[in-house]
Amino acid sequence: MPEGGKKGGRSRYTTVSIPVTLYNRIKKLIEGTGFANVSQFVTYVLREVVVEYERAREAEEPFTEEEKEKIIEKLRRLGYI
Amino acid sequence: MRKVFVLGLDSAPPKTLYERYGVDIPVLGSLIDDSRRWLMRTCHPPITIPAWLVMFTGKTPGELGIYGFRHRKPGDVGHTYIINSNFIKHQTLWDTISRAGGRVGIFGVPPTYPPRPVRGFMITDFMTPGPENQYAFPPWLKHELESRFGPLIFDVKFRRHDKERVRDELFQMTRQHLKIIEYLVKRKAWDLFIYVEIGIDRIHHAFWKYFDVSHPRYEENKELSRVIPDYYKLIDEGFKRIRKALPKDTIIVVASDHGVKSMAGAFAVNEWLIKEGYLKLKEKPKKPGTDLTREMIDWDSTIAWGWGGYYSRIFINLKGREPKGIVGKEEFDDVITQLSNDLRRVKGDNGALWRNIVLRPEEIYPEVRGDPPDLMAYFDDLSWRAAGTVGWDTPFLPENDRGPDDAVHDWHGVFTVYDPEGTVSRGMGGEMPIERIADYLRELMLSKS
Repeated sequence: MPEGGKKGGRSRYTTVSIPVTLYNRIKKLIEGTGFANVSQFVTYVLREVVVEYERAREAEEPFTEEEKEKIIEKLRRLGYI
Repeated sequence: MRKVFVLGLDSAPPKTLYERYGVDIPVLGSLIDDSRRWLMRTCHPPITIPAWLVMFTGKTPGELGIYGFRHRKPGDVGHTYIINSNFIKHQTLWDTISRAGGRVGIFGVPPTYPPRPVRGFMITDFMTPGPENQYAFPPWLKHELESRFGPLIFDVKFRRHDKERVRDELFQMTRQHLKIIEYLVKRKAWDLFIYVEIGIDRIHHAFWKYFDVSHPRYEENKELSRVIPDYYKLIDEGFKRIRKALPKDTIIVVASDHGVKSMAGAFAVNEWLIKEGYLKLKEKPKKPGTDLTREMIDWDSTIAWGWGGYYSRIFINLKGREPKGIVGKEEFDDVITQLSNDLRRVKGDNGALWRNIVLRPEEIYPEVRGDPPDLMAYFDDLSWRAAGTVGWDTPFLPENDRGPDDAVHDWHGVFTVYDPEGTVSRGMGGEMPIERIADYLRELMLSKS
C-alpha cells in the first residue's frame, strides 16, 4: 500500500500485509492494464466487494418497505403469522 | 480438521427419516442406518427462525434475542421488524471453523440474508427478497451460479387452492438447489458445508393431510398423496449424486430444525382472550379473520393480546411500556400467573383435554435479550396452531385462518452423524438438545483430526 501522506495529523493510508507470492501474482496480472501498481488494484477490488455488503449490513433492517410487505405476506401464507 | 457436510432438511421428522413412514429413500436411509442417530430436541419456540441459528450457535433463542420471524418493539401491537442476519451477534459454527483456518460453504441457512463475508462462500436463505438482491459471498458467485442454473429460487408462493402448482414449483426449486450443491461441492474448496433445504418444510405443510393416514382430515388423492413420497425420492436421488462428489473421508450429518405432525385445528387466541375478559374490542369486526390492530382495541379494558403462528406470543398491556397500559408493574406477576393458569386449562371445543404449555421467557432461557413476548403458549402440545385474527364466532377453527392447513411443528427432529472412518459409532444415541449440536460438530471437526 502507498505510504501515507498526512492530513490533520492522521494518516490517509495504512498498510495491509499480503503474502509476497500473492503480491507477485497480482503484479503480473495487472501488467499492461490500467492499474499502475498492486495497491491501486487491491484497493479497487476491495472497494467493489465491500460496497456490495456494507449497506445491507449497516441497516438494522435490510429490507425495503415493499420487500418487507412481501415477506410479511409470505409469512402469513406459510402460517408463521 | 475433519471435513463435515451437513444436509439440513427443514422440519424432517423421525417418522419419515427414521421410521421410513410412507417414503422410499434407499441412499439416505442406508446412510442413516450406518449413522449415530439422535432424536433432536428442538428449542422454544420450535420454529425455523430461531431453530437453525440455535443449532449453529449453541445459544438459546433468549440469548440470541430471536423468538420467531417477526418481533415488536415495546408499545406496538403488531410486528415492527423482521429478523435477518444483522441480528446474529454470536459466533456461528462457520465463524468458528473459519477462525480455525477452515473454509466454509453455507447454503440456505436461515437467517443468513443479507450475506456476510466468510472464509469460503455463502448463499443466503429463503428470507432473501429475491434473486435481484445480493445473496452471495463472494459477489461474483452470484453470476457464476446464475449463468449455469438461472435465477436462484429461494422459496415458492403458497396458494391454498392450487396444490399442483405449489408442488411443481417446489420440485423445480429443490432440483435447482440440489444441482447447485453438487456443483459447489465439486468445484469449491470447503471443510464445512451446510446445505439447508426449505422445500421439505413447504411440502410437509402443503401436503401432509394427503400423506399421513392419522391426519384428522386425511384425504387419499391419486395425485396429491404421492407428492411427499416423490419429494423424498427427489431428495434421495439428489443426495446420491452429492454423496458421490464428496471426498471419501467426509463426515455426513443429516439434521432437521424441528419435526412435523398433523394440524388438529387453529385456536383463535384473541377470541379466547375476549371471551375470558382479558381483551376488549371496541366492536366486533364484521369479517371473520380480521387482523387485530391498535385502533380496534378498547385499551382501558384490555389486559392482554396475542399473536398467532405455530405458537402464540402473549403481550400484557403493561403500564409504562404500552401507550395505554393498565396493568401496573406490581400486578404484573399476578396477572401473568393467572393468565398462564387460565391458558393451561383451555380445553378443546368438545371438552377434550388439551396439553397446553405456557412459558415465561425468563424461566426457560439463561438470558433474555431483544424483544421477547410476556408469555409463550402452545396449544395441545402444538397440535392446535394459534390464530391471531379476530371476528370469529368461536376460538376453535377446524382449519387454519390463513396459509397452509395440513401440518404443525413438533418437538423432535433428527440429528444423525455418519463417519466413514468409524470414529462415531452407529446406533441410537437418545435425545440431543439442539443447543448442544454446535459444540458437538465443532469438536468433531477440530478435535478428531
